[in-house]
Amino acid sequence: MNKPMAVGHPADIRREFEAFLFHEARLMDKHQFGDWMALWDAECLYWVPCNSEDVNPDRELSIIYETHDQIQERVRRLSGKFAHAQQPKSRLIRVLSNIEIVSADDTTVTGTSTFVLGEVRLNRQMVWFGRNEHVLVRTAEGLRMRRKKVFVLNNDTPMPNMTFLV
Amino acid sequence: MNKPTSPSTLSSAAGIVSRGVPIGDLVQERRVHSAVYTDPEIFDLEMERIFSRTWIYIGHESEVPKTGDFRLRKIGRQPVIMVRGKDGEINVLMNRCLHRGAVVAEVESGNTKFFRCWYHGWTYDTAGKLVQVTADEGYEPGFCQKLGGLARPPLVQDYRGFVFASLSEDVLPLREHLGLAAGMMDYLIDFSPTGKISVNAGVNKTIYRGNWKLVGMDGYHVNYVHASVVEGWGEDENSGIAAMHKNDPFNDAALTRTRDLGRGHVALDFREHRMATIDKYVAFLRTIPGGEAYIEAMYAAYGEERAKRNLSLAGDPHLGVFPNLQLIGNQIRIMNPIAADETEVLMFPVLLEGVPDEINTLRIRQHESFYGPSASGSPDDAEIFERAQLGMNATVNPWLEMSRGLHREFVDVDGTRVGRISDETTQRGQMREWKRLMTAV
Repeated sequence: MNKPMAVGHPADIRREFEAFLFHEARLMDKHQFGDWMALWDAECLYWVPCNSEDVNPDRELSIIYETHDQIQERVRRLSGKFAHAQQPKSRLIRVLSNIEIVSADDTTVTGTSTFVLGEVRLNRQMVWFGRNEHVLVRTAEGLRMRRKKVFVLNNDTPMPNMTFLV
Repeated sequence: MNKPTSPSTLSSAAGIVSRGVPIGDLVQERRVHSAVYTDPEIFDLEMERIFSRTWIYIGHESEVPKTGDFRLRKIGRQPVIMVRGKDGEINVLMNRCLHRGAVVAEVESGNTKFFRCWYHGWTYDTAGKLVQVTADEGYEPGFCQKLGGLARPPLVQDYRGFVFASLSEDVLPLREHLGLAAGMMDYLIDFSPTGKISVNAGVNKTIYRGNWKLVGMDGYHVNYVHASVVEGWGEDENSGIAAMHKNDPFNDAALTRTRDLGRGHVALDFREHRMATIDKYVAFLRTIPGGEAYIEAMYAAYGEERAKRNLSLAGDPHLGVFPNLQLIGNQIRIMNPIAADETEVLMFPVLLEGVPDEINTLRIRQHESFYGPSASGSPDDAEIFERAQLGMNATVNPWLEMSRGLHREFVDVDGTRVGRISDETTQRGQMREWKRLMTAV
């Protein structure tokens, strides 16, 4: 990944990117699975590495490494009645920060961000931390996610249920 | 106390053993007392009588391929190091400095010439030998030699690269202890055309608030706990792990069986079920990238007939080796007991040697689809284990019912006990070994 550029991008690209992230975060917090699914481009990759921030996904395990159909299946499952680990659903609030545009052109915006995610479920509060990389593409419907990578800070520790959307 | 207390008359499960209930009474033919899962005192006894008295799986030789490679593991709650020594042998060392007891290796894996305790700088080599103490004029000459080195489990043996250790010398040789389970392990190992597997693709670590024995081996839960997944199998019969579960193996009319292999080792036995549709599965394998080359390599290595048997289980013997190892799906799984109501589950995807890269990539993707903290399967298992742990605090009737299929269970020619796929033959097999170890004097 290139060195983030502190200046040189029009403020409106940054605002547009931020607005997308905040919108996505709200949909994930509220479990609006269908609307979140619609944010993905038809050609896409959803990647949550395991054990470190960078692994070779062809040779090493990830927590999630999914293309469109598998993300769709995840959403189908979570939307149904039988995903017990989300019965009841987690209550979620995530705070996004450190938003930086890495590159932007007419078709693609790439940026990074960090999050703190509070989760409450069955009388227990968990705090999760992570770093996102979003690659967004411009389509007729607006910005769509071509690629999203989420480094979850404790991805090398024994983890409880993380079945909500990250 | 002259008259033993009856387990049914005790309303609270905690301390049931010290209050006079014989431990053997807690595990009966048809039922198990919930104190076995909830009582901290029984948990402590398990650490002593099970985890310190039988073979415990430590790791696979391929995790430490080079001299000095090490991994941290546990025997019950006791920290150990699995390390490849200079002589090429794998050593299992207790991870505890001889001086003041600090761990001498603190990161989970790596490569090293020495283990150094930074409390006072004592240094050990990869065979565990104490090679240096700092400011050694404070000790008599020959002090290091006298102390020797890091303690070791008295017995370390392997079965085809699966390394086990025992803290007791009073055990059967590993091969005998594994018995028929060894033959089931072969189904994973010989899913590789070279008979070699590689365990270096990372690990999913998960934790749940429940007893370690809840992981069990259960052919009854699938349609309920995993209803969200089973629902989706109808849509694409080759997606994720669905490719491995054709023709509803979890129906009691299927050829699938639960099998108690003895000594607590149990399996969901898919062999005959899979062989009935082996040609369909092989045809599917031929359609995936690298599949054609893989099948040809298997046929060349084992001959078509044997190769088909090796392929039949898709490398998944669905085997539990009591008390801490399971071979399920594409993974080696270790259960680490933390407390009566807390357990760590480590899942290591297994790669095959001698196959096209695409085959291994597919194995990783299949694993991820069902296992791990965000996947479709294991979080629902963990959720249900936590519900069981909570419910077991209600002790007006403290018994768990484990009699399913008892009336239709039979003993096979090889001596194994066999039930239908939903029968609790496997749970009874594990609890029988639990009882044997816990009541042995």
